[in-house]
Amino acid sequence: MRFWVALAGRDAEVEFRREGDALVLEMEGRTLAADFRRLPDGEVYSLLIDGRSHEVRVSPAGSGLEITIHGATLPVEVRHPLERLLQATPQAAGRGAGETIVAPMPGLVVAVRVRPGEKVAAGQPVAIVEAMKMQNELSARQGGVVSEVLVAEGAPVTVGQPLVRLEGSP
Amino acid sequence: MSRLRRILIANRGEIAVRIIRTLRELDLTSIAVFSEPDRVALHVLMADEAYPIGPGPPGESYLNRDRMIETAVRVKADAIHPGYGFFAENADFARACRDAGIEFIGPRPETIATLGDKLAARAAARDAGVPLVPGSDGPVARLDAARDVARQIGFPLMLKAAAGGGGKGMRLVRDASELETAWTLTRGEARAAFGDDQVYIERAIERPRHVEAQIVGDALDQVACLGERECSVQRRHQKLLEETPSDALDPAGRARLAEAACHVARKVRYLGAGTVEFLLDPAGDFYFLEVNTRLQVEHPVTEMVTGLDLVAEQLRVAEGASLSFGETPPEPRGWSMEARIVAEDPLARFMPSAGRIERLRLPEGPGVRNDEGIYRGYDVPVFYDSLLAKLIVWAEDREAARRRLLRALNEYVLEGVHNNLAFQRWLVSHPEFAAAHLSTRFVEEHFEPGSIEPRGEAIEVAVLAAALHAGEERLRVALPESNGGERSAWKWGDRRRRAGRIAR
Repeated sequence: MRFWVALAGRDAEVEFRREGDALVLEMEGRTLAADFRRLPDGEVYSLLIDGRSHEVRVSPAGSGLEITIHGATLPVEVRHPLERLLQATPQAAGRGAGETIVAPMPGLVVAVRVRPGEKVAAGQPVAIVEAMKMQNELSARQGGVVSEVLVAEGAPVTVGQPLVRLEGSP
Repeated sequence: MSRLRRILIANRGEIAVRIIRTLRELDLTSIAVFSEPDRVALHVLMADEAYPIGPGPPGESYLNRDRMIETAVRVKADAIHPGYGFFAENADFARACRDAGIEFIGPRPETIATLGDKLAARAAARDAGVPLVPGSDGPVARLDAARDVARQIGFPLMLKAAAGGGGKGMRLVRDASELETAWTLTRGEARAAFGDDQVYIERAIERPRHVEAQIVGDALDQVACLGERECSVQRRHQKLLEETPSDALDPAGRARLAEAACHVARKVRYLGAGTVEFLLDPAGDFYFLEVNTRLQVEHPVTEMVTGLDLVAEQLRVAEGASLSFGETPPEPRGWSMEARIVAEDPLARFMPSAGRIERLRLPEGPGVRNDEGIYRGYDVPVFYDSLLAKLIVWAEDREAARRRLLRALNEYVLEGVHNNLAFQRWLVSHPEFAAAHLSTRFVEEHFEPGSIEPRGEAIEVAVLAAALHAGEERLRVALPESNGGERSAWKWGDRRRRAGRIAR
């Protein structure tokens, strides 16, 4: 079987096959001996790669997967290898397209610092959300012009809930 | 036969669990209280008895004074242990306990009131002859007055809530341009957290170390210092890692610090366990900061080197007995460190994270202690402090303790909520930490998110695991119908459910 895996700014094609009892992996021209066991507690695998022992958790997250290794969690996409060839040059997305500031955690909106129509610089604070007794200042990443303020001060918000939308500066 | 047999714990999380452990050892009855989302929290499962105290928001449950006292009376509690946070430093609550005929396990209400008012505490320290950080003599009422004070004492300075403590409600202001925002945020936090928005100003000492002295006093007015703790590694004034002894003190400095702490304690006839906090400047001079009239989060490191149980000492003195060790505290032995394990994401500016503990495997082995408030499958609620657990180690000297802590952190498995384990591993293996070159600006000066991002082998293993998992789960990877730039349309095929998987 062959997959194209992308994570943390890196992507690789991985091919694996069974040779008797052994699992053989090929990645970037290297051949690795592997052993792969699911632990009784669910989504966790013990992975031995050329003898080195790793504990890895793989869990579904949105439309993709999340890998947890040594306490760090990384989003990952697994795709058909042909897709790599089909993928044209990356689209000129991002710039000028605007941005949405979302609540990074569930909490309470204690302040909204901007109004519709206001120009916001990159890094400028737009709202404060309080969670777990801490007030967290949320800032615009790219900046732009406020097109919508979607929450009122005092409103409870859930994780990922849009708070403020900005239109990109031309 | 002890007078206090039924102890209600007006708290939750790891500290409630820690208190229950001592009550069990002393054969006393532990009574938990819980908010609605805490019905199956660890402290409820472990306590002998447990009673509901209201909805999730702290103001309606753990900070609902009338309901707390009413519950304690109804269930015939002899005493209330407040833990830290919530009512721990609330003089009105301590008074209400006394009025209801229930022993409050902590200092006298008058002492809490004096020391909880940071300005009155400064005055007490000044009277005790202990050096103070220069600052405003009283609360600063308005922003323009704050500007005046700032002009007198200079930047950088600290804005502090008069009712604050434990790192809440204080902010560093580097220059005049930051003053207005910091002023508003500090007052807002103070009002939200303490119901009191009085703020005062202190000069900020550049690159200080935070060193605090553990004090205990009994009803016979005997006071002892049980050594110091260094808590310099902080982020936004929240301690992250603590140790004892402090590498910054030589025996003479240590003796002076202990003496200053005892002076303050005697001045206020301190009863119970408390902490006198100091800032230590690079020249080795120390300044009084504040007194915390409670059991500290980091008290276990003191327990590790002294062999004492501070909760047991609190219970003894609350009954009117003397301290367990008589007049001379035990000589501390070895070195202890504590890493706070919090549900905060170091890669997202330490944003708090709530959710289910999907996996938990605590480190064990020689010299390791875990104080935790979580278990596998437990849902971390959004309402409370982000502290999940504390990992405490003991060893003969600092380097051995550091290696043991790193070993234990590497052994620690905690998944499901974002947490700071990777951060703690980075910290404990940092050469400057190993060299004990510490200050409260350590994190600011040395930490970048890139420091803890997985790289090299971990990334490679993650790639392989993802592919193997896709094969294992018979993930059907289809080509997108058109090359329209949308996410590819792969789907789970034949995703087998297994026993042991936690339902989402």
